[in-house]
Amino acid sequence: MIRDITLGQYVPGNGIVHKADPRVKIILLIAFITLIFCAFNFVSLAVIAAAVMIIILLSDVSLKLYFKSLKVIIVIILITSILNIFYGTGTPIWQFGILKITMSGIYRAVFVSVRIVLLILISSCLTFTTSPTDLTDALERLMKPLKVFHIKVHEIAMMMTIALRFVPTLLEETDKIMSAQKARGADMESGGLIKKVKAMTPVLIPLFVSAFRRAYDLAMAMECRCYQGGDGRTRMKSLHIKKSDVFCIIFAVVILTGVVLCDIFIAPII
Amino acid sequence: MSFISASGVKYSYEDSDKNVLDGIALKVNKGEFVALLGHNGCGKSTMAKTLNALIMPKEGVIYVNGMDTSDEEVTYEIRREVGLVLQNPDNQLVASIIEEDVAFGPENLGVEPEEIRKRVDNALKTVDMYEYRTFAPHKLSGGQKQRVAIAGILAMQPDCIVFDEPTAMLDPNGREEVLRTIKTLKEKGITIVLITHYMDEAVLADRVIIMENGSILTQGEPEEVFSQVNLLKKHSLDVPQATELAYKLIGAGLRFSKMPLNTEECIEMLEGALS
Amino acid sequence: MSVIEVKDLCYTYGINTPFEKKAVIDLNLSVNEGEVIGLIGHTGSGKSTFVQMLNGLIKPTSGKVFLNGEDIWEKPKEIRKIRFKVGMVFQYPEYQLFDETVYKDISFGPMNKGLGEKEIDETVRKAAKFVGLSDELLNQSPFDLSGGEKRRAAIAGVIAMDPDVLVLDEPTAGLDPMGRNLLLSQIMQYHRERKNTIIIVSHSMEDIAKIADRVMVINSGKLEMLDTPAKVFSEAERLEKMGLEVPQITKIMLALKEKGYEVSDGILTVEQAFLEVVNLLKKEGKI
Repeated sequence: MIRDITLGQYVPGNGIVHKADPRVKIILLIAFITLIFCAFNFVSLAVIAAAVMIIILLSDVSLKLYFKSLKVIIVIILITSILNIFYGTGTPIWQFGILKITMSGIYRAVFVSVRIVLLILISSCLTFTTSPTDLTDALERLMKPLKVFHIKVHEIAMMMTIALRFVPTLLEETDKIMSAQKARGADMESGGLIKKVKAMTPVLIPLFVSAFRRAYDLAMAMECRCYQGGDGRTRMKSLHIKKSDVFCIIFAVVILTGVVLCDIFIAPII
Repeated sequence: MSFISASGVKYSYEDSDKNVLDGIALKVNKGEFVALLGHNGCGKSTMAKTLNALIMPKEGVIYVNGMDTSDEEVTYEIRREVGLVLQNPDNQLVASIIEEDVAFGPENLGVEPEEIRKRVDNALKTVDMYEYRTFAPHKLSGGQKQRVAIAGILAMQPDCIVFDEPTAMLDPNGREEVLRTIKTLKEKGITIVLITHYMDEAVLADRVIIMENGSILTQGEPEEVFSQVNLLKKHSLDVPQATELAYKLIGAGLRFSKMPLNTEECIEMLEGALS
Repeated sequence: MSVIEVKDLCYTYGINTPFEKKAVIDLNLSVNEGEVIGLIGHTGSGKSTFVQMLNGLIKPTSGKVFLNGEDIWEKPKEIRKIRFKVGMVFQYPEYQLFDETVYKDISFGPMNKGLGEKEIDETVRKAAKFVGLSDELLNQSPFDLSGGEKRRAAIAGVIAMDPDVLVLDEPTAGLDPMGRNLLLSQIMQYHRERKNTIIIVSHSMEDIAKIADRVMVINSGKLEMLDTPAKVFSEAERLEKMGLEVPQITKIMLALKEKGYEVSDGILTVEQAFLEVVNLLKKEGKI
């Protein structure tokens, strides 16, 4: 059933990573992603991997969930590895026609795979430990400076909040409408792609109509609650940088320097 | 002076020339509980929207606590003082966490964070939803969602709350929960305007107003209004069963000093007649 | 003869997950042809799951549903055919309207059934007539209708499939008293003419009392009671314990009985109550 799908993968918890300021977490994630792409040899990568492992172990989220998030991208990892294996230069270990495998190709494949795995793990860690509301909230605050460029930061964040709020509602509604049309004999399972898409019309139209009706109601409800845009608005939860956040930042700076030093003094692998 | 005072209010929607509101005069006193009845399309929902300046009357004036609703300077002050709870509990909640949703109103008003926290906790306790403060709306029942919507209005500390058929989409349990909440609010001295189809809800009010075709058909204390059984039936409106039974018995020659409106009063009346 | 026969029906949500929940437990029922069954139960009692098993929208975890003596899951690939025989009107059915005109929308079911153009036209117009939609309205967009009309158009969409059994889930929810009475009388008129079986789910015992031959009460997934309206509603206390709302007049008459007056059980309408009270008054010599 559609309603069983949960959006966002937030896992409630009380660990140090959960408690960290979401703004700090977002910045650290960006830093780590940059680092992962800036690591050009195995030592740098190992330093990052160690850091990621520490964060994951501290995150108060079962390792099973991390494995699950990796499972989804296993195909991508396989494809990129295979492509990279044949892309190396140097003396081939094995050759068939124009296909050849070299040592550098194998290194490259392993290297790229590890990069992808680390990327997934560290971003999963953010979504596991931060509620969607905290994420939008943090993004709104982080993007505040963009207001100078006339970007409607508050409006974008408000839209994200409302979208998050209504996704489960609309999923449930899709489920209901599908059942109702099936009860009128709609055939949504059989036939080719075009037939299936066509069969969705009786579901999509009522869904859109309902979404518009909800939007109209919600706009009215927001007006009733004195909504007048972002100006003059306060927030119940204010974010403060805590001691633990400072530790996080120091930790990140150490890793960052480590990786940069490794990059400078050790020859790149790719 | 009345808290809400409307006179000669007329309103029509853009795509039709029929007056949805056709010269309504209405006064609501501070702390009063008024029930507004009438079948679909009689203009009661439109009336509700004029009371917190969501729409302006085309003719006539409405004063809320002395402020003219057509004065744009005071629109938000009026909306803070007169909260509106709508029918569909799903479409009124903005945030995906209950307490953050309740905070939405005071946040818009620019209230200080610590004060918002206090108001949110109080509002949630008043509607008996405090334990659910960290839940997501879609995990709640209809009645619970509606109570959260009420808390969201309460957090703005209004003087009056207008309920536009708040129980129409709820099951009997949800209806009961919302009604209990409304009674609590009444005890706290909040002025209440309740639009409903259910007679058992209307009998709780201090005054019942019946609307028909954009104007007021009759109004008065519940006992007075519901004893006009014929008039109500003629306009396809329900009468509480207790009242209807008494009415029939009067037709059979009995005399009662007071029309019963609820179960207890009716039992008392029957016992009196039988002993 | 029984149209629908339900044997040891069970349904469990989320088997093997932490959210495992038994929605329907060992339900047995036999519905006679032409019968009107009222189904009551509070939200979450399993009544919606139960009715969706009758037309194969939900496949039972165990147990069987027989339609005219045949197991509906005998040939799982042909389950769609069952949906034309057991028509199902969901709660707030107006939210399923989608086509350009009311006519086209009502003909969606008959078209899926594979009827010819002429047959479709006939059945659509007949269905529209049952629910009181004029020919003029048939050419309008369903989104331009009033709330009550939309509801009736949606119900016509199911009636047009000409089902042997019609299941209605809270057909009057959210309507005003006038709309409620109108819709109920149309459903009953349809039942009298078509003489098919109707299962109606409702929170309103008054409505059920008006039209049902038998009432079934579902509580926590189990069939709690199955009897005539008068018998079921005479157990007001038991119903209230299950979180169900008993009509005011029933409560009044039960209280009177408890106080030692001779009144019948399960009074559901003001009319009945009036006659009972007049009898009492006569006995006591008050009138």
